[in-house]
Amino acid sequence: MITTLLFILFAGIAIGCAVAMVAQRNPLYSAISLIGVLLSLACLYVMLAAPFIAAVQVIVYAGAIMVLVVFVIMLLNVEDEEPRRNRLAFLAPTAIGLAALLIAETAFILYSVQASPYTPRDNVSNVGLTASVGTGLFTEYLLPFEITSVLLLMAIVGAMSLARRSNIISANSRVVPGSQVLPMNVLDPLASDEAAVETDSTVEARFLMGVDRLTDPNKRG
Amino acid sequence: MNELDWTNPLIFSVAKIVAISVAFLAVMLLVALTVLAERRVLAFIQGRIGPNRVGYFGVLQPFADFIKTMVKEDLVPDQSTKFVFLLAPMIAVVTAIMAILVYPFGPTITLPFLGTIQLVIARFDVALLYVLGVTSVGVYGIALAGWSSNNKYSLMGGLRSSAQMISYELSLGLSLVGVVLLTGTLDIYSIVEQQSGWYGMNWNILYQPLGFLIYLISAIAETNRVPFDLPEAETELVAGFHTEYSSIKFLLFFNAEYINMITVSMLATTLFLGGWNGPFVEQLPILGVAYFAIKIVFFLFLYIWIRGTLPRFRFDQLMDFGWKVLIPLAIFNILITATVLFVRGS
Repeated sequence: MITTLLFILFAGIAIGCAVAMVAQRNPLYSAISLIGVLLSLACLYVMLAAPFIAAVQVIVYAGAIMVLVVFVIMLLNVEDEEPRRNRLAFLAPTAIGLAALLIAETAFILYSVQASPYTPRDNVSNVGLTASVGTGLFTEYLLPFEITSVLLLMAIVGAMSLARRSNIISANSRVVPGSQVLPMNVLDPLASDEAAVETDSTVEARFLMGVDRLTDPNKRG
Repeated sequence: MNELDWTNPLIFSVAKIVAISVAFLAVMLLVALTVLAERRVLAFIQGRIGPNRVGYFGVLQPFADFIKTMVKEDLVPDQSTKFVFLLAPMIAVVTAIMAILVYPFGPTITLPFLGTIQLVIARFDVALLYVLGVTSVGVYGIALAGWSSNNKYSLMGGLRSSAQMISYELSLGLSLVGVVLLTGTLDIYSIVEQQSGWYGMNWNILYQPLGFLIYLISAIAETNRVPFDLPEAETELVAGFHTEYSSIKFLLFFNAEYINMITVSMLATTLFLGGWNGPFVEQLPILGVAYFAIKIVFFLFLYIWIRGTLPRFRFDQLMDFGWKVLIPLAIFNILITATVLFVRGS
């Protein structure tokens, strides 16, 4: 009884947030709605006796990935999405067709589940517990697990090399949030023979770094 | 005298609701006392007297401040994003208080009429991951508060805070892996139970001193306290992410910070200092509750002591320290622990 009520509650929140995510104009509201979807899905996982998956869902998706998404939206200060002219109008019938296919598949699954004989379990399954998930990952599914790890490592290395490729920020520099990019020897007096140079203007920082030799901070006053 | 039937769903629900209410009130009271203790201890460190007029030793000062803050005008900036502005302090305080569910505050005790009860609100398989998950969702409170205020200082505070909390969450999580390897479980209740040897002094800190140190430093950064209080560095950012907040919304952020202090102290106590374990707990189980409270108060005092002693980090120093010192140390700690356990096991 209570389980059914809770399922309806969390499923309702999940669907509501999912609809809100697509319908919102403001990207940040969409991101918050997506967090709502992920959290209510985690609640559903708990109800399906898979607490480990639920915890990982919250830590990885809601706690890490979505924080980065929100971070980017905040940094870029993305404007509200303007309604634009529909350029790819021919895709609309295709979308309807695919949606119909998806609904048909769901209906088939529901039908086949209803048709199959009901076999009650004598006790609660422990497949979702941490120990079972860990044993599975390190024995039967070791190869896929390791391959996924390598894939993630490749993504990290790729992101690093792409970010370091541009010459504007030298490898020897630090970014001080709120001010500007400075070379290490300016920030750290011990690393250089010169005395520490304090700067509060972007122009001067660029000059010190040699990004733009044409700009002379003294001329600008 | 009949004992209560705990399998009855109604009795179970009522008991849980009572337990949650008691825990909530206890934590809120502890928050008030911590605020007062912080002001008095800081005053002592700085050679002042501190608030001592309202009630004995100023005990009623936090409650007077509470009333004062509540009746102030609730300002909402004209250009702010209203809904998110309202949502942010709620996220901060709810995620902060959700973590107290899983901490066992005493051993299993037998009471007349009530029967045998475990002094924990909820015990489940992934309690430790639950704490980490709830903490990681708490970042949104501060980040969204900074963004929705539509104020440069708030935005900078929110961004700094998110970056800081994401960075130190890693070393915080990694520092706990040693304990998990040692105990072989994520269930906080059994982690505490496993530390009960040697007259209740078989604490994990003896086996994980490095892990404990990394946890302690990361926890201070995670709660945005001095010396890692960059998100609200008042000389640079006015008040950081809560610059635009007043009245009850400010109070929620204020409470969230202190609740976070209490929950990370609880986690340190349960994972490293044996939770309710101590001498003579087996003979007198109720003593465990006192041990648990004493250990939490010790950590809270440590927080205040550090605040009175250390200057603030610069932001690049903070990031360097987190990524280049704490995380490698934490990985080293995992490596050593795993190697020792492997050698001993084989």
